[in-house]
Amino acid sequence: MMLVTHVRLIGLFLTLGMVSSSLAHHSFAVYDNSRSQTLKGVVTQWQWSNPHAYLELDVKDAAGALKHYVLEGTSINIMMRGGWRSNMINVGDQVTAVAAPTLNGESTGLLLEVTLANGQIIEMPIPAGYSFKRTP
Amino acid sequence: MTIHKLIAVLLYCTAFQPLMAWAQAPLAAIPDITGVWERAKDPTAPVSQQAQLKPQYLKVKQALLQAQSEANAKGQPLATRLMQCQGDGMPGMMGGPFPMEVIQSKGQVTIIQEAYTQVRRIYLDQAQKPIADVEPSFFGHSVGHWDQATLIIETIGIKEEVMYQNMPHSDQMRIKEKIYYATPDLLRDEITIEDPVVLEKPWVFTLSYKRIPDYQMLEYVCEGNRYYVDEKGQQKMLPASSIK
Repeated sequence: MMLVTHVRLIGLFLTLGMVSSSLAHHSFAVYDNSRSQTLKGVVTQWQWSNPHAYLELDVKDAAGALKHYVLEGTSINIMMRGGWRSNMINVGDQVTAVAAPTLNGESTGLLLEVTLANGQIIEMPIPAGYSFKRTP
Repeated sequence: MTIHKLIAVLLYCTAFQPLMAWAQAPLAAIPDITGVWERAKDPTAPVSQQAQLKPQYLKVKQALLQAQSEANAKGQPLATRLMQCQGDGMPGMMGGPFPMEVIQSKGQVTIIQEAYTQVRRIYLDQAQKPIADVEPSFFGHSVGHWDQATLIIETIGIKEEVMYQNMPHSDQMRIKEKIYYATPDLLRDEITIEDPVVLEKPWVFTLSYKRIPDYQMLEYVCEGNRYYVDEKGQQKMLPASSIK
């Protein structure tokens, strides 16, 4: 259902060429669309708001050091139409996020997909999401 | 009744018959466009054109596009009004792709664009104001009337900073719209932008919509904007540590 909705949204955006209008609250040019990173961590903040939602995670690196990530979603209105609800994520949850990293190397990114604490995988219906490559 | 009176009565009835028939006929039905809409494919829509700007304004637009493109290539996009949650204004708010609600009421058609909760009011059967009497704003001053099954609208008074697709415009800009059903399921807005100062010729394009049955419009309050404009006019995101 989620995937179908997502594909429909993408199809609509492609058809209508609307990516640059009000769909995008701001430019996504800060994000690298050529690769993605997979981040497994603990939720420290879940900002359910417009213009965009934000997921913040503490992720342990190989040496055991914690690194904080700020991942940006899209408008909660688009997310709700795509099947998202605010209570799907809570502070303290263990989640796995797939994100397009920021070009400037900061630990921020564009949230593309989340595996929730209950194992459910949910996509972020970001504008022009198809243009962000998923890489291992 | 004399023959003269009879002739007079017959003439009277003949003369007024069309008028009486008109009075008894139902008024031409105004289409029901109240409801929630979203942008839709419309393969048979009139072909949309590109804006044709006069050379000096084309230079302004090209410079803006180049600056945006160079900034994006560096991963440092320029700040925009949308980024500051100011909404599209007219005619951008008609472009969706968030849902859009149309409400018909006595003397007025109201259109609400879900994104940024943008609202425009179209006052029916009123004369347009002189441009000098309208304080420039995001949505301008719109008057309209029904011409049979087509809602004809004219909007003036859009702030010069409120640009649609990077098109500069003057205070002489008039946005003319014809809203009608192309098919029972498809609503069209044929938009003509006239601006004798900036445009070589009127810019014509069409936006089309389909109903979203049973959709209840969601609120949109820009409460959590983490973006701001830095001193170089670039789009910047607040650091995580500053978010409460």
